[in-house]
Amino acid sequence: MGMAVAHAQASGMGGMRTAGDLVARLQLSKKMRIGEAKKYVADKLGVSVVELSDPIIMSEVRADNGFGIMMPLGKVPKGLECKFNIARKLDLDINCLNRFKARAGLA
Amino acid sequence: MSDIFELAAKSVLEQDADLAMEQVKKHLDSGESPMILMEQGFIPGINKVGELFSAGKLFLPELMMAADVMSQASEKLMGALPPGSKSENADIIITAATVKGDIHDIGKGIGIAMFRANGFTVYDMGRDRANEDIIDDAVKHNSNFIATSALLTTTLGEQKQLEEMLKKAGLKGKIKTMVAGAPVTPRWASRIGADIYAENAHEGVVGIKKAMAAA
Amino acid sequence: MSNIVTRMGDGSMLEMSEKELREDIEAGIEEAVDKGGVPPLTQDEIEYLVELFKRKERIVGVEMGNEVILTYDAATLKIKRHSLFEDRVNSLAIYERLLGADTTELCHVDYSYKMLKPIVSYEAGTLEQALSVTHAPMFYGAMPNLGLYTQPDGPFPNPMELLPQGKIKEGRAAYDEMVASAVEDIVFIAETMWEAGADGINLDTVGASGDPDFKASLLAVEKLTAKYPEMAIEMGMAGEFVLGMHGEMYHDDQRLAGLYPTEQLKLAEKAGVAIFGPVVNTNNTESTPWNLARTIALIKPCSEAATIPVHANMGMGVGAVPVTDYPPVDIVSRVSKAMVELCRLDGL
Repeated sequence: MGMAVAHAQASGMGGMRTAGDLVARLQLSKKMRIGEAKKYVADKLGVSVVELSDPIIMSEVRADNGFGIMMPLGKVPKGLECKFNIARKLDLDINCLNRFKARAGLA
Repeated sequence: MSDIFELAAKSVLEQDADLAMEQVKKHLDSGESPMILMEQGFIPGINKVGELFSAGKLFLPELMMAADVMSQASEKLMGALPPGSKSENADIIITAATVKGDIHDIGKGIGIAMFRANGFTVYDMGRDRANEDIIDDAVKHNSNFIATSALLTTTLGEQKQLEEMLKKAGLKGKIKTMVAGAPVTPRWASRIGADIYAENAHEGVVGIKKAMAAA
Repeated sequence: MSNIVTRMGDGSMLEMSEKELREDIEAGIEEAVDKGGVPPLTQDEIEYLVELFKRKERIVGVEMGNEVILTYDAATLKIKRHSLFEDRVNSLAIYERLLGADTTELCHVDYSYKMLKPIVSYEAGTLEQALSVTHAPMFYGAMPNLGLYTQPDGPFPNPMELLPQGKIKEGRAAYDEMVASAVEDIVFIAETMWEAGADGINLDTVGASGDPDFKASLLAVEKLTAKYPEMAIEMGMAGEFVLGMHGEMYHDDQRLAGLYPTEQLKLAEKAGVAIFGPVVNTNNTESTPWNLARTIALIKPCSEAATIPVHANMGMGVGAVPVTDYPPVDIVSRVSKAMVELCRLDGL
C-alpha cells in the first residue's frame, strides 16, 4: 500500500480528489491515450488540462455536476447516481448503468 | 584441436547429439584427456545456452534438448576416464526443491537442467516440499548442497526456517545452501545465512562451483 | 567523492559518485540495447537521470499537468494481504475515497481464472454491489496462470516432467491442450463479469507460464472483443520477454517466445486490448540507476509505438521498483517520475 501512495503522490492524477477517475474512463471506453483523454474531459467540463489534477478546482466541479466526492455525506449524489451524471456530462456509455436500466425496467 | 572444441560447443548450442558424439569419438581417439573436451568444448557450449535462455533468445525445449546432448556427451567422456579418476563435478550432489506452500517450479526446472548439464548429480524433490523432507533427502543422498526456490514473499520464510533446522541438526556448513526465486535477494540470502544466492540458473552453476572450490 | 545516495535493486542504500552514477546508467542502457534490441537513450535523457539521482529531496514528482492514471491490480487482494479482513466492497471504496485511486479492481484472493469457475456467480453478485456504491471505473481481474492446468493441479501432463525426458512433442502437445482449456475459462469468467457490469477486464501477469500463457490470453481477447466490441481489456505482462516454454507457439505468424515489450504490445493491440501493461523486471544485484535506465530504454519504444494507453507495471520488483515489500518513497517517487516523463506513459 505504501508503494501505491508513493506513486499516487509522485505521478498520479488523484482519482476522485480530482478528475483521475473521469480521465481513466476515456482510456477504458475509447482507448484514448492520456493527452487525448485529458483534453476530452477538460473540454467537456470547461476546465484546463492542468486544472484536471487540481483538487480545489475539481472538487467544486465534481460537486456542481454530482460526480461523487471524497466525503459524500447526506443529500449528495453517490454511487450509481453519480455515474448517471458522469455518463451524461462526458457523453459516455457506462456498462453497469445499461445493466441497471435493463434490470430496473428503465431501458 | 580448437575445431573440435568449437564443434562440441556448437553441438550443444544446436542440440545436435550426432555432432556431439562425433567430437567425443575424435577426441578420445586422439588420446587426449576426456576432461579437456568437457571443459573447453561442452561446458562453454552449455554456458552459452544458459546465457541465451536468460536473454529470451533460446527457449525451454531447446534448453532441455541441449542439456540432454550435454548429458550424453558427458556420460561417454566420463566413462572413458581411467579407473579411480573422477570428473571435476562428479562429487557435486544437490537436493533441489520448491519450498513448502509454493507450487512454482519453472525456475527450479530450468536450474536443475543446467546443473545436470554441468555434470552435477541432482535429486529433484519437486514442489511444495517440507523442510524436514528436504533435509532427510539431502542426508540420505549425502548431498553437498540443498537448493531451494521460493517464488512468493509469503513462502520465503521457509528458506530461513531451513537454515535454522540445519543449524539445530548440526548440518549447517556440512550441507551448503543455495536460495533462489523472484523475491529472493542477496540481502535476504545474507540475512538468513544461506551460502549461495542465485539470480538465475547460470549463476547457480557458478555459485556452486565457487563454493566447491572454496571448500 | 561518493555523495549521491541511492539504492540497490533490493532496496538497500548505496552511495555513489557522479562518475559511478553515470557508469551505472550507461551500463543499464547498454544491457537493454544488447538484450532487447532497442535504441540507446539520448544524451539529454541520460542527463535527466543523472540530475534526478543527484537531487537531495526525499520525494520528487512529475511536473504539474503531467500526471497519469494509476490502475491498481488485484486491489482487494492487497488489502487482505495485510491481514485486514475488510469486506471487498468496502475495500474498493477505501481505494477510491481514501487513496484517491483512478481505477479499482475487484478480484478474488485465488487470483486465477481457472479457480473462479465454481464461484463466478458469487463474484458477479459482489461486483454488482460494488459497482452500485463506488464511482471510479472498476476492473474485474485475475491471472491466466496456465501452471494450474498441469498435473497435479490440472488435467494435463506436466511439460516440466516431459521435457527433461526428451518428450518435446508430448510436452508441446500438453501446452496446446492447456491453451484451449485456459481460453474457455478466461472467456467464461470475463463474459460473466462483463455482463454483471464491469468497466473492464484485467488479464494480469500474462506470460507467467511462458508463451502458452500469452497465446491463451491473446486468443481470449480476440474471442471476447469479437462478441463484445466495447469490452475494455487490460493486459499486464509478467516479464520483459515472453519465456519460451513451448518455443514454437505462433500468433499471427509471429513466434511468441522471446518477444520484448514493443512486439508484445503490437500483438495485444491487434487482438483488441484497450490498455497494455509492459513489464521490465528489476535486477536486485544492480543499482536503481542501472535498473531505471534499462527499464526506460526497454519501455520507451513500446510507449512510442502504441496507439492504445500504456500503463507500465511499477509494482514490487518491476519497473525499477526495488524487490522488497517495503519500497522506499525516495526510490518509488524517482522511478515513477522518470518513467512517466521519459517514456511518455499513459498510466501506471
